Amino acid sequence: MPPKAKAAAKAATSDSKAAPEATPETVGERSKQRFYQTNPVQKRFEEVGFPGLTPAEKKTYAHANLILPVANRLVSLSNKTDREYWKHVAKEGLPCRRLKNGYRWGEDKHGRDIGTYRLDELKKRTLSQARLTALDVLHRQFLARREAAAARGEGGEISPEELDEEKKRRKEMAELKRELYGEIPGPLASDPEWDDVAPIPQTEPEDALARIAYPDEYAEAVSYLRAVMAAEEYSPRCLRLTERVIAMNPAHYTVWLYRFKIVSALGLPVLDEIQWLNGVALDNLKNYQIWHHRQLLLDHHFAATLAADPDAAKQFAKSETDFISRILAEDTKNYHVWSYRQYLVTKLGYWSPFELATTQSMIEDDLRNNSAWSHRFFIVFSDPSVSTPGSAPTEHDPKVPDAIIDRETQYAKDKILLAPQNQSAWHYLRGVLVKGGRGLGTVSEFASQFFTDLGGEGESVRSSHALDLMSEVYHKQGDVEKARLCLQRLSDKWDPVREGYWKYRLAELK
Amino acid sequence: MAAAAVGQQPGPAHGSGPSISIPSLFTQPPVIRDELETDSSHLQDETVEECLPFLSGLEHDKVNAHGIPRLDRERHARFLRKQLGALPSAYVGADPSRPWIFYWCLNALSLLGEDVEPYRARLVETVRPMQNPTGGFGGGFGQASHLATTYAVVLSLALVGGEEAYDVVDRRSMWKWLCQLKQPDGGFQMAVGGEEDVRGAYCASVVISLLNLPLNLSPESPASAAGHTDLVSGLGEWVRLCQTYEGGVSAKHGVEAHGAYAFCALGCLSIIDSPHRSVRKYMDMPRLISWLSSRQYAPEGGFSGRTNKLVDGCYSHWVGGCWPLIEASLSGPTASPAGQPLQVTDEDDSLFSRNGLIRYILCCCQDMSKRGGMRDKPSKYSDAYHSCYVLSGLSSAQTKWRFVASRAHETLLGDDRWEASPHTSGVQIFDEDDRIATTHPVYAIPPHKVDAIRSYFLSKEGF
Repeated sequence: MPPKAKAAAKAATSDSKAAPEATPETVGERSKQRFYQTNPVQKRFEEVGFPGLTPAEKKTYAHANLILPVANRLVSLSNKTDREYWKHVAKEGLPCRRLKNGYRWGEDKHGRDIGTYRLDELKKRTLSQARLTALDVLHRQFLARREAAAARGEGGEISPEELDEEKKRRKEMAELKRELYGEIPGPLASDPEWDDVAPIPQTEPEDALARIAYPDEYAEAVSYLRAVMAAEEYSPRCLRLTERVIAMNPAHYTVWLYRFKIVSALGLPVLDEIQWLNGVALDNLKNYQIWHHRQLLLDHHFAATLAADPDAAKQFAKSETDFISRILAEDTKNYHVWSYRQYLVTKLGYWSPFELATTQSMIEDDLRNNSAWSHRFFIVFSDPSVSTPGSAPTEHDPKVPDAIIDRETQYAKDKILLAPQNQSAWHYLRGVLVKGGRGLGTVSEFASQFFTDLGGEGESVRSSHALDLMSEVYHKQGDVEKARLCLQRLSDKWDPVREGYWKYRLAELK
Repeated sequence: MAAAAVGQQPGPAHGSGPSISIPSLFTQPPVIRDELETDSSHLQDETVEECLPFLSGLEHDKVNAHGIPRLDRERHARFLRKQLGALPSAYVGADPSRPWIFYWCLNALSLLGEDVEPYRARLVETVRPMQNPTGGFGGGFGQASHLATTYAVVLSLALVGGEEAYDVVDRRSMWKWLCQLKQPDGGFQMAVGGEEDVRGAYCASVVISLLNLPLNLSPESPASAAGHTDLVSGLGEWVRLCQTYEGGVSAKHGVEAHGAYAFCALGCLSIIDSPHRSVRKYMDMPRLISWLSSRQYAPEGGFSGRTNKLVDGCYSHWVGGCWPLIEASLSGPTASPAGQPLQVTDEDDSLFSRNGLIRYILCCCQDMSKRGGMRDKPSKYSDAYHSCYVLSGLSSAQTKWRFVASRAHETLLGDDRWEASPHTSGVQIFDEDDRIATTHPVYAIPPHKVDAIRSYFLSKEGF
């Protein structure tokens, strides 16, 4: 508290006639000045000590220091002396209230001593504090009104205008708090909609391992997330919260699982959710939680609608594959997207020529796109109309028609001719033959065209995979020497990084 | 980097000195190349271009007579210790997978020979809030339990060791939660309502066997209704259907073969029974071995994860780590009847090129800048994930693992005996000082840590 102006003024006249004091610049300087103003002769006392004071100063000093003890009757004076004493005090204009030295103004949010503030800075800060206090009063009134309105029940709602005002008010309060105290009340704490939720913050020891300096908004959002998940709340505001968290961290698997629960609990339209999800997927190509969420939505949608409505199912399959194609155009071997695509085809029975054709065009864009080859294998050999359910990919399936085996064998061969060292096509060819129960010998003529004069002077090999395959064919035919030659040449020249494997195969020949 | 050395020391410039010899296999493009160009071949060519200067020693200040730089243990250890410390806000994406960071860093540090026990108290207090009362660990406080993060926490606790660490795990609720994850088709979901894939099969097998959990299923398990009676019943059959026409293993039925899932499948099968029985029972061995072998490329020397995809240091473990399990499946238990040590031959009978892999790891995967750590390939930044799996791969390439004795009883999951010895046959291209610690072929942590946690929980009766 500043001393009374009157006392200060009078004291000043008696103390500093010689040198009028400079106007203080900082809050601390002003405090110091006021300390001296309210403690006459103190400065002289500090400079020269008591013995060095003039008799008049000694008197003033003694009188000033006695004021409180005398006033509090700690020193008892006779009536006359008492009267005399107060007369002197009045005459010299000694201040009754004396400030203490070294007043601490405290620190601001940056750790700066407020004593070092300029006077105008302090004034601004004080006004902000006053403003915050005023806003807080209005904020409390709002809370009280809302509570009263809720207690009244029906029709006792807070008006939208009031709500808007409160939102604005909280925004201003948040700004003031940040400015004054460095507190960062996040957007959720500032939103009246979330007043009833007590956020559960992360509590971790200071030296926790791999401790992440979470951005404030993220830390706030997941604190609210923990609270509503614990309360098993499934509501539109929670849906918005999940969106908020996903935008900040799409790898947060928990929020995705929770989001799906909300979507199903509220019976939200799946197509709207898919629409929203498309945007998220395009922004986060490598994220896989998105695709599991999509799979859950598909199951949900299927059970609720698509199972009973084949047309809708077909349409959905079409729009899904369109979107998948869009994503795959940007990331042609995205594992999770292909994985979802397979799930989609199975769930909706979308074993269509269209699906085969789009996959084929991806293979033809890049013959080495092994993901596309894998998908082709899947749609050809898992189609329940032409295959045995549960047949392993590595085993013969007698139900697959010969025509399909012929067609697929030819397809693989055609592609091998374009790039004989492309292992994707060779793997496919082998896979088809296994499914068809046909031996590798059925393609021996085809495979033999990719090498000539093996072991001879004019040896040339255009495909190590052909040699590999032929070694098995020769072995099966009982021609161990030829089989050995293939493997030996692979080991020595055509694929020597796999020498250990070729040697193992050589050992197996015996 | 190379220029820095010039002028400071006299001597032959690297690469040109007669003392350095590198097989042309690792300095030249492959002998067979198709003319047809596609996106995949462009990427492959770029990768070879990117690796060649590192493989030929041009990018390194100092290499040995085989053209191999030293393993900079101190630099990598510093990187890993830093990853375990305070992380900036850019790591917010790692919030759901922090337990992975613990495992990757602690395991990589162990492989580098660092003692990680001093992390025990901090780890214990960090993971405690991540455990859910309904069983299992999430990626952080208030996150749903997930098999991947649970696996990472359990392995991390095993790495720091000690009862204080082991006792963090609530085994009863863990068992209940695993029963919930067990599906009617025999596989495991990663989280309640989460995806079902072969990672789930592996992580669940690891957790069950390390913690010695009861195998019986709770009546509430979705698998109970389908007639399953225990946690691992039908699991081998489920994994079997993940093998694809290529011979590799996919995440789930019908998808593309992928190196990481191959390791998960073999790891899972090697836990639920001894590998010479289960891997051979459920996998088409010739196709599997052929596919795994095809993952190794020259001139890079490293492994790729899928057909026609690029090499990546992490497959040093995912694919490289399959080989000891394949060898064990082929050989069966190899203890000689009298308990005599097996005769060691000088011949290198490895199924893959150990030296090719070691070359790729030491030449291309080390970040030799101030940053340190291991990486996918030279153009990528190092991270904890790659540090862990590149070093794991290095370890298994340097080690000869032998599957010594099969479990006494089939219900003793993961109870096989394995023995490690330094792999010494053939040419050794790395300096002996750069031989790192061993890592268990199934559990991917140092073998004595596996023994310690297993014996602790084997001594527990019930929960």
